Amino acid sequence: MADSDAELAELAGTILVVEDEVLIRLVIAQYLRECGYRVIEAVHADEALLVLRKSELEIDVVFTDVEMPGSMDGFALSQWVRSNRPGVDVILAGSVGRAVQAASELCDEGNHVPKPYDAKGVHDRIRRLLASRRPGKRDLQSTLESASLGGPVQ
Amino acid sequence: MSLEVACKPELEQDQTTVLVVEDEVLIRLMIADALRSQGITVIEASNGEEAMHVLQSAVPVQLLLTDIRMPSAVDGLALAHAARAARPALKLIVASSHEANDEVTNLADAYFSKPYELNAIVNRVKSLLKEAQHGGQ
Repeated sequence: MADSDAELAELAGTILVVEDEVLIRLVIAQYLRECGYRVIEAVHADEALLVLRKSELEIDVVFTDVEMPGSMDGFALSQWVRSNRPGVDVILAGSVGRAVQAASELCDEGNHVPKPYDAKGVHDRIRRLLASRRPGKRDLQSTLESASLGGPVQ
Repeated sequence: MSLEVACKPELEQDQTTVLVVEDEVLIRLMIADALRSQGITVIEASNGEEAMHVLQSAVPVQLLLTDIRMPSAVDGLALAHAARAARPALKLIVASSHEANDEVTNLADAYFSKPYELNAIVNRVKSLLKEAQHGGQ
């Protein structure tokens, strides 16, 4: 079981979740962990930058809120990632439609989710994003199913 | 004891949630990773106010591990007092770069001075969670 857990984590990847509301952050972080991802939590962009500057910490996707306290918001964090960690994808979550639309221009097509979001929708977005980056690897959902981890947590 | 010695057989999974309160993200990540590697569910809070939000919610927590000095209105000591009042059965570990005073030692189940040995923290968390599962105070 330990081997399949490790394989799942490797296949699933590492998500940096950036969210300043603790009860939202713990729900989405826990959900993604139960889906097999390694999740690193940051409260705001300043913490996220400390993590992202550690090159030994491999990050696949940054899932970040748009509006956050601190020296930069989600847009600025996205731009920083694009410039400094080009292999890392960014998904923005925001409640303001126009702002999210503008943010999407910084990211790949469709890499934004409106708030409030549901955890399964976020997982689906991450899974599609990673699947498109890793055509040689098995689809995560089939991996999860073959490992008998069951369906998404509701 | 090595971290490789799994606590999964020793601890019931649904009763092993630790709230880690630490304002330095990389230290918080290191502690959280070490505890998760032992099968313990970890909730991360970056300051006392975030921790209070968690403790005031319905989220089950068996143990609070908090730093004393944090850059927020609610420091670790105030958080510890509030946690004791709100959840009397909660196990409490306090960490600080200063010597523990009587107030801290009387309040906490365990005290660690910084810098601390990560294995020691993990082992103390596991032993306190076992106590909590068996109704020990």
